[in-house]
Amino acid sequence: MLTKKQKRNNWILVIVLIAASLFFLFPVLWMLANSFKQDAAITRDMNSIRAFVPPALKGNFFDNYVKILTDTSFVRYMLNTLFYAAVLIILGVIVNGLAGYALAKIKFPFRERWLMIIMLLMIVPMETIITIHFLFIAKVGLLNTVIGYVLPMIVNPFNIFLFRQVFVSLPDDVYEAAQLDHCSPIKYFFTMVLPMSKSVVATVSVFTFLNVWNDYLWPSLVFTSGDLLTAQIGLNAITSNDNTTMGQKLAVITMITIPVIIIYSLFSKQIVEGVVSTGSKEG
Amino acid sequence: MSFIELKNVCKKYDKTEKNAVTNFNLAIQEKEFIAFVGPSGCGKSTTLRMIAGFEEISSGELYIDGKKMNETAPMDRGISMVFQNYALYPHMTVEKNISYGLKNMKVPADEIKKKVDWAVQILGLEEYRCRKPKNLSGGQRQRVALGRAIVKDQKVFLMDEPLSNLDAKLRVSMRNEISKLHRELGSTTIYVTHDQVEAMTMADRIVIMKDGVVQQTGEPMELYEHPCNKFVAGFIGSPQMNFYDVQVERNGITFSDGKSIALPDTVTAKLQGYDHVIMGIRGEDIKFDGQNLDVYRETRQQAVIENTEIMGNENNLYFEFGGITSVARVSKYEVSRIGDSVDFVMMPHKMHFFHPQTEEAITVQGRGGL
Repeated sequence: MLTKKQKRNNWILVIVLIAASLFFLFPVLWMLANSFKQDAAITRDMNSIRAFVPPALKGNFFDNYVKILTDTSFVRYMLNTLFYAAVLIILGVIVNGLAGYALAKIKFPFRERWLMIIMLLMIVPMETIITIHFLFIAKVGLLNTVIGYVLPMIVNPFNIFLFRQVFVSLPDDVYEAAQLDHCSPIKYFFTMVLPMSKSVVATVSVFTFLNVWNDYLWPSLVFTSGDLLTAQIGLNAITSNDNTTMGQKLAVITMITIPVIIIYSLFSKQIVEGVVSTGSKEG
Repeated sequence: MSFIELKNVCKKYDKTEKNAVTNFNLAIQEKEFIAFVGPSGCGKSTTLRMIAGFEEISSGELYIDGKKMNETAPMDRGISMVFQNYALYPHMTVEKNISYGLKNMKVPADEIKKKVDWAVQILGLEEYRCRKPKNLSGGQRQRVALGRAIVKDQKVFLMDEPLSNLDAKLRVSMRNEISKLHRELGSTTIYVTHDQVEAMTMADRIVIMKDGVVQQTGEPMELYEHPCNKFVAGFIGSPQMNFYDVQVERNGITFSDGKSIALPDTVTAKLQGYDHVIMGIRGEDIKFDGQNLDVYRETRQQAVIENTEIMGNENNLYFEFGGITSVARVSKYEVSRIGDSVDFVMMPHKMHFFHPQTEEAITVQGRGGL
């Protein structure tokens, strides 16, 4: 039972949090409202509260969006990115998961040192090794290919660490029981370990998706062909085009933001669970 | 020929000086129920895990059904195992947990169904077959673990403290169920427990271990009546046997508090050559009733009751005697209150004597010991 003082403090906290979230949300709300407007209306409303109010729902309400979807290849870029994200989620879960499992459960020489090296790799920024990646991919002739884009992105030290932290708390006797049930180590990984660690699989999948969706530097180096471009590069191409209106720019930014918002709202629980469970044992 | 045989089996872990298990020798007959019992860290679970194949055997040989199994993978040893923490697959239903092994063994689907139906029926799990382990109680989970073990028709069952996570009441009923199951299936069972009551009530033979070394192997009553050393005598039986450091006299023994009792010549004859021995006597062999006080009057003593434990079916009486707090087990009709001064006798032919240094039994009752 909450005391009167606690109730009052809770209310104050709620009000402060609402105010803070409005503060952070206001650019998004502004973007959303103006993405439906023509440039003249955007300029007109700029200095009034109407800047946050969308126009009336009339025939040309979705004009900016229709224009982007029909006149540019943005849909294709989005589908490309979704495809890359799907491939990288599957490969990332398998490769990083297997590495995490080995570091957690398989005894081999210098296991702890390997873990230390992988943890040290986490502090190396992608930008510092991207040149090496690029030179390697160029050398083997994989520039402008899906494989060339995907290959250096599969292994992620942070994801290995996340997997390792969760797998280390999996009970060993389940593996022993599975062995007696004629389950091979690989089958055990796919039919037992991954299903028993759903939250970390979800976390890694979300992180991978966001990584791919928001990445600009690596795809801009690997891809030159329009057919393979990702959403972020498409966004840059569209927004830097002089013929694109402000309303259209805001529409394309809105579209690129929507999947991120959906993913976060759908999986926020799993993301928190996944990260939390890396430091605690599941009951 | 024995069905399972362990010959000089040793286990030594890396970076340790002492063996976890030393020269373990045992021959187990087919359909036998063997219990490994001992305190924590005595090597009983390690031995079981070596039989299962989860721990490498450092030296020695293991034979199952005549075949050497030292290097054989666990799945090829023809064993099923029930684990202390059940080790159920948390994301699978009861039915899938039980059938998982059979599927991997490529058993035809109709046969799997038949076996799973039989297992859930025999274990009373019909209404839970679609539930996941997290929605089951401890006892139900343990039954699922048993079901998973019995459907595979393996000849050897290994059980690693399977009841230790259950409450006292459930333990008793599961104990009974496991014994029944063993009789019905006729499989060879090795059961690890630290609870001597489980071992005594379930096993055909008990192996008592301490510090990785087998202390004694035998039938439950044999261990109870003729323990080979002080450790076994103290480990088996509840309440624990009373042990007294006594001085051997010509016609009896003297306790450290100066009290003496006379013993029959048959007993004192065996103690010749000893100045001091350890005398052990079980609580139920200390008698308070008039008839026994009369029969064993040579050993008659007096003590003040310091504490009582009312068990319902019997009472435990605690009193100071011979320099230690002694315990006697009496029937529920023999009521004594704290502070009562009571007369009691110790039955001489039920006394156990142990070497004061080696703690090995000194043979008085015809079996075991030196």
